[in-house]
Amino acid sequence: MNPLIYMLLRNMRFVVGLSIFMIVVLLGTIGPLIYTKDPLSFAGPMETPPSPQYPLGTDTYGRDILAQLLWGTRNSLYVGLLTAVIATIIGLVIGSVAGIKGGIIDEVLMSITNIVLSIPGMLLAILVASYLKVRAMEMVALLLGVTSWPWFARAIRAQLMSLKEREYVYLSKMAGLEDLKIAFADLLPNIASYVFMAFVLYVNGGILGEAGLSIIGVGPTRGVTLGLMLQWAALMEAVRRGLWWWFIPPGAVMVAATSSLMVISTALDEIFNPRLRQG
Amino acid sequence: MVSDKRFRISPVVIFLVRRSAFLITTYFIALTIVFILPRAIPGNPLALLLTQLFQQAQTNPEAIREVYKKLMEEFGIGKPIYVQYIEFLSRAFRGDLGTSIAFYPKKVIDLIAPAIPWTLALLVPATISAWTVGNLIGAVAGYKRGSKFEKTVLISSLILSQTPYYWLAMLLMFVLAVRLNIFPYGGAYSQDLIPSFTPQFILDVLWHYVLPFLSIFLSAIGGWAIGMRVLTIYELGSDYMTYSESLGVKESIIFKYAFRNSLLPQVTGLALSLGSVLGGALITEVVFNYPGTGYILFRGLSTLDYPLIQGVFVILIATLYIANFAVDFVYALIDPRIRLAGEKV
Repeated sequence: MNPLIYMLLRNMRFVVGLSIFMIVVLLGTIGPLIYTKDPLSFAGPMETPPSPQYPLGTDTYGRDILAQLLWGTRNSLYVGLLTAVIATIIGLVIGSVAGIKGGIIDEVLMSITNIVLSIPGMLLAILVASYLKVRAMEMVALLLGVTSWPWFARAIRAQLMSLKEREYVYLSKMAGLEDLKIAFADLLPNIASYVFMAFVLYVNGGILGEAGLSIIGVGPTRGVTLGLMLQWAALMEAVRRGLWWWFIPPGAVMVAATSSLMVISTALDEIFNPRLRQG
Repeated sequence: MVSDKRFRISPVVIFLVRRSAFLITTYFIALTIVFILPRAIPGNPLALLLTQLFQQAQTNPEAIREVYKKLMEEFGIGKPIYVQYIEFLSRAFRGDLGTSIAFYPKKVIDLIAPAIPWTLALLVPATISAWTVGNLIGAVAGYKRGSKFEKTVLISSLILSQTPYYWLAMLLMFVLAVRLNIFPYGGAYSQDLIPSFTPQFILDVLWHYVLPFLSIFLSAIGGWAIGMRVLTIYELGSDYMTYSESLGVKESIIFKYAFRNSLLPQVTGLALSLGSVLGGALITEVVFNYPGTGYILFRGLSTLDYPLIQGVFVILIATLYIANFAVDFVYALIDPRIRLAGEKV
């Protein structure tokens, strides 16, 4: 077996984290196929606590909360994933161009990065979202992704800057390889694990960011997400009125997804990063 | 080279001037974004809002026509774009952020100003105490590598750091306010009290303060502890540490070395995190109906009161940059690389 995979499977934290995350993924992917109730139909009775017929009860409009939770998990994971793809690509492109090219291009790109870094992403996302009448899930992911790439770009640039000075890169340069070839053959493989960990953090950022936007009132305008569930619960004062089955499940699934990803990411860090490896 | 001591500017000053120049530039850019957005987004939401108001004016003429006129004037619709821009900037620097639509004829600044102290009173103590406690716990965890303490800290920090403020807020509210009835549901003070500096009112404010404070404090601790743990491990692995250990330096001193050196990046981290902490705190305010800027923003968003939304954005970014500068200032004072930069050459 590949020694790396063996090391991963021996790491308890990694295994537990991965299992919890897989359960959340299954909830979102297979869940809606098995539990086929419509999450948005006003069919049920009002605000009933969990019962055999409604495993997680219903909300003020008589909608089934378990159905909402399954669809919400699916959509929140989708928003998180999309956010991560967008932020990672932007950060990777800007960071590697700045790090590899250097000089004036580097300075310009890093000024832009520092400026975007200094403008609070969440606020900017709220501001832009407030102007949009219709907000698709993809739009929310775009807003979250576009406002959150800078720290990653900076980190990638810093890593490449130091990698660039290694001897084998000089050798490739002397051999007359193009920049692009050097980037893909010599530099990027070295930062692959780092990119993966940043991607995981961005998935979390997307899931939590969507919820934040939703609660303040500028989340997706259609469908159901974990954040929208929390918003509806907040609007109807579910907490004050003790309707725990309404606001606890969406938050719990959210925290299960984000912390299990975080656990996976730190476990990977301890394996890939020799400075953290325990002797 | 002969250097004239009298004319040398302290490196701390140079660092701070550069930082403030950067922050002022960024503030200009932020203002420009606020200006461009409503005008650049397809379907021009501002024009749409004005048309709606104009249509309502047919049914309810006097009041709405006045709002309409005021808005036309403040957004400078119809004037060339550069005139609009200059007017916008000059008003923003005078602190005039326009007139609210939902609370017409109140000025935006008059709505936001009373909310700022509440947000700051919530955010500053919560952030500073979370930073302090988180770093201490993280450093001890990193120092006691492999211990039960480290494992507990790591797992609970990982979960706490990924728990959104607002959900933690809901849980705390449910358990401590609804079920156990120890703390109030929300608001900043009891409705039947008039704000004053009486012991009764102050105690009431503190009583309302506990839950919002705890939700920000608890979910912020985790991130700092995780970061500090890794930094301490790095620091303990460095050569000077091995050297100190081999010299038989006392454990408490080694811990102090590691702690002090790991703290520097955490100060930078504090500056970087302020923005996201602010975002989270705003949403927490909404959950608690806490009368801070987050709650004002929420009201603005639910009525599409664009002048109010923009105003909150402009004010919060300014506040954030002032806070950022304060952190930079502390950083310049404690980082010997900046403090002593000029003297080494």
